[in-house]
Amino acid sequence: MHGLRQHAQTSRFVSRSTLRTLRGVSACQGRRYAGTTPTEAQEKPPPAGGELPSIATSKLLRVTRETALKSPGLMWTSEPESASPDGGRETRKMNMYQAVRDALGIALSTDESAVVFGEDVAFGGVFRCTMGLAQEYGKERVFNTPLTEQASTNGIAGFGIGLAAMGQTAIAEIQFSDYIFPAFDQLVNEAAKIRYRSGGQFNVGGLTVRTPCMSVGHGGLYHSQSPEGFFLGASGLKVVVPRSPIQAKGLLLASIRDPNPVIFMEPKILYRSSVEQVPISDYTLPLSKMETLVRGSDLTLLTWGTPLYTCEMAMSMLSSPPPSLQGEDFVPRDARKANIELIDLRTILPWDMEGVIESVNRTGRLVIVHEAGRTGGVGAEIAAEVQKRCFLKLAAPVKRVCGWDTPVGLQYEKFYIPDALRILDAMVETLKY
Amino acid sequence: MPNSASPVTTELHFFDAVSDKVIPAYRVLDGNGQIGEAFARKIYEKMSLLPALDNVLYNVQRQGKISFYMTTHGEEAAVIGSAAGLDDTDEVMGQYREMGVLLWRGFSLNAIMGQCLGNEEDSGTKGRQMPVHFGSPAHHFHTISSPLATQIPQAAGVGYALKRDPARRGKNCTMVYFGEGAASEGDFHAGMLLASVLGSPTVFFCRNNGFAISTPAAEQYAGDGIASRGPGYGVKTVRVDGNDALAVLAAVREARRYAIAESKPVLIEATTYRVGHHSTSDDSFAYRPRSEVENWKKTDNPLWRMRRFLEGRGWWDEAAEQEMKDRYKNEVLAAFRRGETLKRHPLGELFTDVYGGEMPWHLKEQRDELSALLKKYSNVWEPWKKELAKFQGNGKEML
Repeated sequence: MHGLRQHAQTSRFVSRSTLRTLRGVSACQGRRYAGTTPTEAQEKPPPAGGELPSIATSKLLRVTRETALKSPGLMWTSEPESASPDGGRETRKMNMYQAVRDALGIALSTDESAVVFGEDVAFGGVFRCTMGLAQEYGKERVFNTPLTEQASTNGIAGFGIGLAAMGQTAIAEIQFSDYIFPAFDQLVNEAAKIRYRSGGQFNVGGLTVRTPCMSVGHGGLYHSQSPEGFFLGASGLKVVVPRSPIQAKGLLLASIRDPNPVIFMEPKILYRSSVEQVPISDYTLPLSKMETLVRGSDLTLLTWGTPLYTCEMAMSMLSSPPPSLQGEDFVPRDARKANIELIDLRTILPWDMEGVIESVNRTGRLVIVHEAGRTGGVGAEIAAEVQKRCFLKLAAPVKRVCGWDTPVGLQYEKFYIPDALRILDAMVETLKY
Repeated sequence: MPNSASPVTTELHFFDAVSDKVIPAYRVLDGNGQIGEAFARKIYEKMSLLPALDNVLYNVQRQGKISFYMTTHGEEAAVIGSAAGLDDTDEVMGQYREMGVLLWRGFSLNAIMGQCLGNEEDSGTKGRQMPVHFGSPAHHFHTISSPLATQIPQAAGVGYALKRDPARRGKNCTMVYFGEGAASEGDFHAGMLLASVLGSPTVFFCRNNGFAISTPAAEQYAGDGIASRGPGYGVKTVRVDGNDALAVLAAVREARRYAIAESKPVLIEATTYRVGHHSTSDDSFAYRPRSEVENWKKTDNPLWRMRRFLEGRGWWDEAAEQEMKDRYKNEVLAAFRRGETLKRHPLGELFTDVYGGEMPWHLKEQRDELSALLKKYSNVWEPWKKELAKFQGNGKEML
């Protein structure tokens, strides 16, 4: 197992090759989305010849201090540093693992009871999310747990529940979300139910379980999974997935401080590939609130985590199809003018029903994208609620673009993970319906 | 020798924990216990309160007045002896057969009845859990849950939290109870490993009563019980005669002293015998002869042994026994009859405490959905009408 993990650690190099492949999908030029509200990056002229969005160049990322400080929903935990309109707050360029590390440092420094633990966290973690924390805060607060699946994963969760039951802050790491299943019993039967079953007398609100999730290009069956859907039935838990460094820090701090146990799933391909200017002071972002990233009026495209960037690329392909897809059969001219609304769900449980419904009632069409398999996935739950609440407003059936109901076969990944072409096709089919 | 302090030998020999060395069981109650009269009497009286409660609650379950029950018959010494060895503020995480710890700490008979009946006085679970799933922060007794052994790694975490709490460091430990069957769960491995490696002041207390429902211990493990596993985890270990309240008391006292002083775990295996059925849903004579049980009750009865100890010192006699039995019978019956008349928590509590903070939209909606159904049907649909009358306010707050 350890060998596999070491192998997967090299995933940080994957992002680059994945990006190359993503670019290879089409050599064409994407430009602004037709009719969408300009975001920061869109204000900059595209490079000569244009570019297709990728994670590194995504317009969803906030790469200047000004736009970072304007991230919607930021709640500052500290006083402004100056009287200037933006409070004089500083930002620093961080990728997602650095933002996670930053959040953990703030959690440890602002809460004496907080501890961080899991497999290999003491030396900095296989994804570097805990670099230097053990040196800074001591071995009693940042420590390794023994490395066997049953003992560590279930044990990590159980141990964390014990700490949290005593009112302390327990931030546990499960090295890959693929290995969260031994802890399923502790998370679903214990953590989720302790407040309820004790009549509110005990709770484990101080527990946060962080775990890297989603595909990485070469993770195969056990370094690629998106298990968020399995927790949908575990009322009492919260499940959160960030898309970027700013989001990771704000949502992680909110999760750590939320009065409920939270499973915080970090899309591992974004650890290095997503880079933003991240506010360095203490702030949170709200849980159970989706965020509209691109406003549109014709179709709602809903997802979370890594696929947001694939959706961005698909939107670009829709408005400006590459030469190979310019035939009317592929992307009809009408569809190219469609205004697509892109939504980041951010919290999977409890999800922001009102926000999603408001959007679909406006656009009349919904495409849901997730990496996990379709059957029993989060998309099924959302689609059911949408058809119940938007029945008269829907102009087309809700479409789900998901992983297939197979394990994630190593050499098949490009055909397993919903890619830009599949999302593009789903949007076209939904618009044409 | 890397990773081991073993001496070197040229002889090939496979160590067999069973035949090479069986861990002896510690026993005191053959006459030499050093203990004061009042404390000894308290131990015996609390031990005797268990069967007094068990008899009534077992029978009312048989009459359908409560849905489920589990007795402690045969394990009175293990449970009360261990509770007596703890400080009342030590954190306790139980399996389900440890009601005696709460009795030792002064949990009231009304509270016992409240939980078993699920009435409005059941502050431990608000009527949400099955009977015998007690809990009380005031008594430092974490709420019991049905999944076996989950409390074991949690206890390692609770111990670690105590070590990190400036107010309780060096003063308290965690005590976690489990049966020998639960020790087969992966969680036992996780809890022992985490507590020993991370340095958690936790006392692991195994009630080895010979049976996990119908499975005899011989089908549970092939080694020397549970105690032989402790040294493998680097955990100080002792086996005690679990029918000897004073041996259990002494072992727990020393274990907690060591756990707190060294911030390390201790494993205690108390050997005993489950005299009662596993639960009210079990008929144990389907897998063991009635005569075997009767023999155990006669030859190695923890209550008789403690009583003989008291009588040998002139601290107890037949009159005291009769007085206690009558008193308990009256008190227990009175508490049950009182609890039986009380209503349940309000029906709306079905939906609360799932989350801390604001109730999420899906729960609000579902509460409203039930509310609408109640408005529509509760006056005409007998099964609901009858059931609503059992709740405080007859479910009015939902209508």
